[in-house]
Amino acid sequence: MQQLIEELKVKLIDILNLQDVTPESFDEHARLVGGELGIDSIDVLEMVVMVEKDYGIVINNQEVGEKVFASLAALARYIEENSPKARS
Amino acid sequence: MSERPVHIAAIGMVTPLGRDADETWRGLIDNRRAIAPLTRFAVPAQQLLPVGEAPDPAGDAGLPRTHRLALAAAGEAMRGAGGPPEAGVVGTTPRGMEASEWLLREGVDDSAAYRWHGLHTVCATVAAAVGCSGPALTVSTACSSGTLAIALALAMLRRGTVRTVLAGGVDSLCRLTYYGFHSLQLVDRQGCRPLDRHRRGMAVAEGAALLLLTTESPDRSLGELRGAGLSCDAYHPAAPHPEGQGALLAMRRALEDAGLAPEAIDYVNLHGTGTPENDAAEAMALRRLFAVPPPLSSIKGALGHGLAAAGAVEAAVAALAVSHGLMPGNTGLQALDEGLGLTPLTAASAAPVKAVLSNSFGFGGNNGALVIAAPGAFPARNATPPPPPLTVSGYACLSGAGDTSATLAALADGGSPAGAVPLERLAIDLPAAQLRRLKRLPRLVLALAGLARREGPAPGAIFAGSGWGGLSETHDFLQRLFQSGEQFPSPTDFVGSVHNGPAGQAAILCQADGPNVTMAGGEASFAEALLAAEHLFHGGERPALLVCADEGHPRFSPLFDPGTLTSRGLCDGGGALLLQRGGSGGLCTLRSLFHGNGGDSGLMRLAARLSATPGPPWSLVLADIPQRRRDQGRLRELLRQAGIDAPLADCRRLCGEFASASAVAAVLAVAAFAGGAIPAGLVAKEPMPFDRTRGRILLLGLGETFSAVEFCAC
Repeated sequence: MQQLIEELKVKLIDILNLQDVTPESFDEHARLVGGELGIDSIDVLEMVVMVEKDYGIVINNQEVGEKVFASLAALARYIEENSPKARS
Repeated sequence: MSERPVHIAAIGMVTPLGRDADETWRGLIDNRRAIAPLTRFAVPAQQLLPVGEAPDPAGDAGLPRTHRLALAAAGEAMRGAGGPPEAGVVGTTPRGMEASEWLLREGVDDSAAYRWHGLHTVCATVAAAVGCSGPALTVSTACSSGTLAIALALAMLRRGTVRTVLAGGVDSLCRLTYYGFHSLQLVDRQGCRPLDRHRRGMAVAEGAALLLLTTESPDRSLGELRGAGLSCDAYHPAAPHPEGQGALLAMRRALEDAGLAPEAIDYVNLHGTGTPENDAAEAMALRRLFAVPPPLSSIKGALGHGLAAAGAVEAAVAALAVSHGLMPGNTGLQALDEGLGLTPLTAASAAPVKAVLSNSFGFGGNNGALVIAAPGAFPARNATPPPPPLTVSGYACLSGAGDTSATLAALADGGSPAGAVPLERLAIDLPAAQLRRLKRLPRLVLALAGLARREGPAPGAIFAGSGWGGLSETHDFLQRLFQSGEQFPSPTDFVGSVHNGPAGQAAILCQADGPNVTMAGGEASFAEALLAAEHLFHGGERPALLVCADEGHPRFSPLFDPGTLTSRGLCDGGGALLLQRGGSGGLCTLRSLFHGNGGDSGLMRLAARLSATPGPPWSLVLADIPQRRRDQGRLRELLRQAGIDAPLADCRRLCGEFASASAVAAVLAVAAFAGGAIPAGLVAKEPMPFDRTRGRILLLGLGETFSAVEFCAC
C-alpha cells in the first residue's frame, strides 16, 4: 500500500504539474480536491483518465468520484481494492 | 434623436434538423430530435456517442466541412439580397478542424495541405463568395462565438461603420470536440436532455447560421436585433459560476442595451446544454432576473450543441419565433428537474412573441445574451453619441529579446528582438497554482497583462487576438489521443485548447467581468481585436486590456503558418495595451482606419481612405507584411497612391515572422509617444525626434486582408 501511495504521489505531481510539491511534502491524508493544492474538477478528470489508463479502473460516477479523490490515501485504497494489477 | 433599428433581413442555416431554415424550424415545431450515434468518422466501439450531425453540405469538395456549412448558410441568407453585405462577422472555433486532424494523424507534413486550418479562412471564404470587400472578422469565444459575432455586428451597425453585415457562427464535428467533451464527462450517452432530472450532459453537434443584418429598412423584417449583453464569469476555465453570476450579468446588460424591462420578454431561448452544472447555473440566473420567468426552452435536446454555431442558430430561431408567433418546445425532456424552479415548454406553443432573450455561455466563462424583438413592437432606442476616442494608458510587449525595455534595447543595439520569447527568464508575478496548467500562449498573455498594467485599477474588459491560438494544448491533446488509440484524451489540454482560453485566464487574473472577446483574424488578429474594443468597450473606471499574442510551436507553426520558420528560428510574442475612453493622462489615442479585403481593389480603397483621413503629417509608418507577400511592391504603391512620405519600418523584419508581430509594432508606436522619440533601431540607428503632441503613426497590415491603425497625440 505504501508503495502505491509513493507511486501515486509521483504520478499526481507529474500529471497535475504540482510544481511546488515534492513526494516528501505530499501529505497523503490531506484534502485532495479543493484543498491547498488548488486541485479542481478538471484535475479530477485528469486523474480519472490516469486511473483508467494505468490501473484499468473506470470511474464515471460523480458520487464514487468524490469518495475516491477525497485524499491521495483514499485513492490508493480504492485502486488497491479494485485493481488486479495493484494487488499483484 | 432615435436610432435606426437593426433588422434581421434574412437568415440561412444548416443544422442537424435540416438543410435550411425552413426544415430546421419545422423539425423544431414537430419536437423532432436529430441526435443519433456518430457516423462522420470512425471511433472505437466503446467510444460511440450520440451527436447532432448536419446534412452534408454541397459545394467544393476541396473545402473543409466547416467552410462548406458556412457557405450553405450564407447562400440561403443572401438569396434575394440586393447586393453584397458591407461586412462579415463569423464565429467559429479551431475545433472544426477535422481535416487537419486527419492530416496530422497521417503525418502529412506539406503545409499546403493545412491552408484552410486558420479560423480566419472561414469568414474570408464566405466574404469572397458573397462579394463582400469590407471587414471580414472572426470571433472565437468557444460556445458563445456565434452570439458574440452577432453582438459585434450589432455594435458596428449602430455606430454606422457599416449598413449591412452578414453575421453568425459555424462549427463542424471533429475529434477534438467529440473526445474533448467526452473527456470532461459532459456528454450524455442517452442524448441531450436539458432541464431533465436525469440529464447527464450535452450532445456535441455541428451546423451553421448566418443572419443578414441591416440598418436599412428591408422589404420584410424577420425581427429587430434589439440588444446584446456580454460578460465574463472570471471564475473557472470550463465550469460555469455556480450561481450564474456571469449569465445574470449578460442577460441584464442585454435587456439594458435593448431598453427593455425583464417583463417585456415573452420567451427565453436557453443556453440549456443539458449538463448538470450549466442548467443549474442558468436556472439560478433566470430566477434572479425574473420575478416569474416567461415561457422558455432549450432547443439543444433537438439539435445538440452546435458550439460556435449554437448562438447564431438560436438567434435565428428567436427571429422565427417572433415572426411566426410560435415558440419551440424543450425537446428531449422526460422528467423535469423540479429543483431548477423553471417550467419549460414541453411542446411548441403558439402565442404572440414580441421579444425573445437568447442565451449563450462558453468556456472561459464567456457569456453573451441577445434580445430579438418583433419589428416596431417597441419605441426606437435613443441614438447614442459616438464615444470619446480610445486612449492608451499602459503598454507592454514580449519578443525574442524579452519584455518592452529588452525589446527596445535590442533594437537600439542594432540587432533584432525577433526570436522565441524567453519566458523562463521573465519574472512573471503569478500564483503557481494558476500557472501550473498553463502552456505557452496563456503564459504569454498573462505575462503581457501583468506587464501592461503595473499600477491602477485592473482591466474590467478584455479584447484579445491570436492568429493561431493555443497550439501546444491542441498539439498535446491530439498527440495523446492518437497515441492512446483514441482512448485517453486529456481534459486539461482540451480546456486549454480553446482559442479564448488565454483571455479567460486573464479575466480570472483581473477579475474582469466585462466583455471578453477573442478575435482570430490570422495576421490581422491585432487589428480585429482593436476593432472589437472600439465597438464593445464603453469606458468606465476600469480600463480595457487589448492583448494579442501567438506562440511559436515547433511542429504546428511551420505547418499552419509556413512563413514563420525563418533563419532566425521560430519567433513568437505579442503586445498589450491598456485602453480607456477619453480622459486625461493617456499616452496617445488609437483607432482603426481601415479593414478590408486585400489585392488591388483593397489597395486602392485603403489608399483612398488614407488620403481622405485628415490630420498632421505621418511621422512613421510601421508595415506588417508577411514574408510571402513582401516582394510585391504593394507597400510603395500604396504609399505613393496615398501621398504618404514618412520614415518606414518593416515590422516583421524587426519583430519576427509571426501572426501577432503587428501587436509588438503597436507597442513600439506607443513607446514613441511615451519616450518622445522614435525608438533607436526602428528606422535609424539613433532615436529620431518625435513631437508627441503632434506626431502621428500609421500601422499597416498588408496580408490576406488589409488593415490600417492610426496612433495620434491625445
